[in-house]
Amino acid sequence: MSRRSSSAFSPEGLTLGICLVAVGGAWTLSNLGRIELLPTLRTWWPLSLLLWGVLELADLAIRRSSGRS
Amino acid sequence: MSSQPLDPNTPPLPPPPIAPAFAPASPYVRLPKSPGLAAFLSLFPGLGQVYNGHIARAFAFFFSWVGSIYLTASGHEFPFAFVIPFVYLYNMIDAWKGANAINQRFLGGRTTPDQETTVESPIWGGLLAVFGVLILLNNLGWLDLERLARWWPVLLIAVGVWFVYESIQKKRASESGDEPTQL
Repeated sequence: MSRRSSSAFSPEGLTLGICLVAVGGAWTLSNLGRIELLPTLRTWWPLSLLLWGVLELADLAIRRSSGRS
Repeated sequence: MSSQPLDPNTPPLPPPPIAPAFAPASPYVRLPKSPGLAAFLSLFPGLGQVYNGHIARAFAFFFSWVGSIYLTASGHEFPFAFVIPFVYLYNMIDAWKGANAINQRFLGGRTTPDQETTVESPIWGGLLAVFGVLILLNNLGWLDLERLARWWPVLLIAVGVWFVYESIQKKRASESGDEPTQL
């Protein structure tokens, strides 16, 4: 049983996917010599927490509104 | 049983099979979560919540635990030294209650508003977002988390306001006969 069964999307999966895209993009730019990878990740990693928290709230809001209707 | 006319040419029906004496009276139901295992896994803060499938909550507990240890070690023994055991014990209780609430849902029983809040609450997503903003601002140099630590009593005010708000909501709901509004 999962509480995600009736969910519109999975916040964990979406966050992981976006983070992988972001890390892949940053790594590519680092390989091209545009940015420095580690300092960039060290500074901006909390964005993943922020994104995840916002997606969790959105997911809860969607499930509650679909439960009411 | 329906009554039908007996045909003399119809052979007699075989007797119904006798249930064995060792047959269980009720089917065994395997519950999806073990509250004991959830509490045990929470010896490492957050792991019990991961077992329950509450990943955001697991991260919120983990960061609360690590953050209070960090702030205690960086010279803010009061009150963060007291926050560490509080977060630790609450994390175990939360894992236990979360597993129980999931089992209750699985069995189709009515869950109380308290149990529903245990399973789903906007607090955990909100906490993750707040942690993310605070750490990001600290990393960008726009905020000094160590200087912010002196504002910790604001948390007490926020928790107090929350309790007052909730008790008013419950009182209104009990007066109107409805279930309390869940936040």
